[in-house]
Amino acid sequence: MEQAESFVAARGLTDERDRLLIADTPLALLQERCGGSLPGTLAIPELLEQVQHARAIGLRIARAFSAFDGEDMISGFVRINPRGIEAGGGCELLVESWQRSPAAFASSHALAHYLDAIDRASAEITLRLDARQHVQTIGVLSADGAGLADALAAQPGALWSDLIALPDIAHRRPLHWRLLDGAACEVPGSARNWRARLMPIAEYGGGREPLGFELLLIADEPLAEEAALPAPATREDSRLFARTLTPALRQPLTRIAANAETIRARLAGPLHQDYCHYAATIANAAQHLAGLLDDLADLEVVEAPGFTTLAEEVDLVDAARKAVGILGVRARDRRIALHVAGADGTVLARAEFRRVLQILINLVSNAIAYSPEGSAVWISAVTTENERVAVIVRDEGPGISAERVLRIFEKFERLGRDSAGGSDKGSGLGLYIARLLAHAMGGDLSVISREGEGASFMLELPRAD
Amino acid sequence: MGTFSADHAAQLRPGHLLAAELARSQRAAVATLPVLRHLLASDGPSLVSEAVVARVRGMLRDLATQLHAGGRGLAAVSEHAAPEIDALVVQLGVHEALLAHIHTLALESQLAERFEQRLSLDPVLSPLLQELIASDDQAVAELAMNVLAAQTRFMQSQRRMELPLAELPADLFRTALQIGANRDQPGSPAGLAALMASYDEAATRLALLERLVVAMRRAVVACLAFDRAGLALFAQGLAALAGMERAGAIHACHEQQSPRLALGLRAAGLDLAGIERQMLLIAAPGGWLADIAEITPQQARARLGELDAIALERG
Repeated sequence: MEQAESFVAARGLTDERDRLLIADTPLALLQERCGGSLPGTLAIPELLEQVQHARAIGLRIARAFSAFDGEDMISGFVRINPRGIEAGGGCELLVESWQRSPAAFASSHALAHYLDAIDRASAEITLRLDARQHVQTIGVLSADGAGLADALAAQPGALWSDLIALPDIAHRRPLHWRLLDGAACEVPGSARNWRARLMPIAEYGGGREPLGFELLLIADEPLAEEAALPAPATREDSRLFARTLTPALRQPLTRIAANAETIRARLAGPLHQDYCHYAATIANAAQHLAGLLDDLADLEVVEAPGFTTLAEEVDLVDAARKAVGILGVRARDRRIALHVAGADGTVLARAEFRRVLQILINLVSNAIAYSPEGSAVWISAVTTENERVAVIVRDEGPGISAERVLRIFEKFERLGRDSAGGSDKGSGLGLYIARLLAHAMGGDLSVISREGEGASFMLELPRAD
Repeated sequence: MGTFSADHAAQLRPGHLLAAELARSQRAAVATLPVLRHLLASDGPSLVSEAVVARVRGMLRDLATQLHAGGRGLAAVSEHAAPEIDALVVQLGVHEALLAHIHTLALESQLAERFEQRLSLDPVLSPLLQELIASDDQAVAELAMNVLAAQTRFMQSQRRMELPLAELPADLFRTALQIGANRDQPGSPAGLAALMASYDEAATRLALLERLVVAMRRAVVACLAFDRAGLALFAQGLAALAGMERAGAIHACHEQQSPRLALGLRAAGLDLAGIERQMLLIAAPGGWLADIAEITPQQARARLGELDAIALERG
């Protein structure tokens, strides 16, 4: 029954609440274009519907699909494999025959209509203007629009562009409405970036100047939710990566990876084999940089002086299973069997679940990368002496020499082994961060290995009472 | 399903049992003549011929037998299981979408055999499929190979009037399993669970055909040359290009449905000459064919949608 999967254009993995956890670049980009994030709820409506259906009926399904990414129609064929509860309850997505074609709108008029409908639905502030662009009414849906409503109450009938700053437009106003349609703007009392849409209300028969306008203000980003956790006491500049650089660098990197991937997969047309290889190298390098960026941002958080973790009850067997579920696809690619020993609820630690999972994912993905194809990785949770519990991740790889064992948890140390899984993508920060996290939770991370005999990594944590 | 619960209620009041039974036999008697007349009158091609009915019945029975075996293999079915299998056949036949699907399969295999006689068009390996198997594009070649294997199995099982459970589309597969699980005498739940776990819609013949057509990308127009593509690929390509269901495309290839075929071809973007060429291969067009040129592809698509809506209302 197993089909060769050499022509799968993109894979993805969702969890039990239909959040996309992992996605190959084309799928990740489509998710982003549809307004979603990674990880985040699957934002491609056509795929979300199929994923929900597959989960509901618990069967592997296969359907042709098409989706609009804002510019073009994306079409292909998607196979969805729902995974059992024990594997996390999500779905695996395999997209074949990825194809991009110009949006199949009957006319540019239909497309404009479609885009107008989107803007109307997503506008958070709507105003009615008269023919001279003076404000008649205002409707506000979001909290940060209240400032504009107040300003308007103080100056009824004002020219809208006197209330709302238009940084890109230097001319004295009022300008012709066509020049203002689509302009970036600043709403008083709001920190977000906004865009203005001016839609004329035409007199029947048309041909003359409009009777008035519908002014839609659309925010470029959602209103930030109040931070759930108290802000850590760190200096502003010490969070350079996490706050500023990561978001700024992520987008161009995603784009580089996506375009290189497009070239590699010859989606834009036939290409010489050598160039495909170069494109694959570019895509790999971009992915490596993106990974490094994540690690650096993480490192900054973990190394900050005020860093603390939660102390909740964590079922280590459950955490191990979740990590295995997330990495199942990668393991299957390399024909590596992942075994979790122990029953749920038998080994409980006092730690932060999210961080434990992060460490386990790091350990298991290392084990997958450094094991020979067709071997097995064993993950077991045990109770050790003096009130502690531990998870042990054991692989059948080449092992680590004694001198390297000493340096393995150092910053920028890259395990010193040759990854069997092709290009080595590590930043050399993963184990360093993992150990810092273990220490922050009152535990430890250690390794036992001899050359030629595989490696066992042990994450020790305080036991839950 | 409604009649079942009504009968059940009647059983609670014994006086009504006879009345209900009489009403049922009366309905059956009234329905006999139109059905008989239809079968007699359409000795030649008909959407419901005896051969099609026999195939539908055979496939329903095969599905029922597999459900009864519950994943244990057909050898496990004892000879004494016949009454239970009969009951399953009735329950499966009540489900309209399942019945429609099976009818379409019977029609497809019958049409394929007829085109083999008339146009010497192999029902399994058409010239286009042969070309696709030799394609430079590895994905297309691999899918085409899988389609060839699936199509061979399909024609073979049609001759034996069989239908493997795992060949059903996901929703119908689930329906069938639910019917199988709801029996008075539950089989092995583990067997049904194993059937569910091994099911993969992507491996069914219909999904493989769809995957192949999607993988062909713009070359899918090649499917619209009936004498090169063969019925299976033609219907799949027509469905993709005209925005119809594949079942609708199969039905459209029947002699009695030629206007619908013309409409479908128009919706797929063919011009009058192209439509005429295909129609001559598939079904003799009537004098109305020239009218097709007046309809734009968009209008044709809309008309097809209206026809489907009417069919749904009746259903």
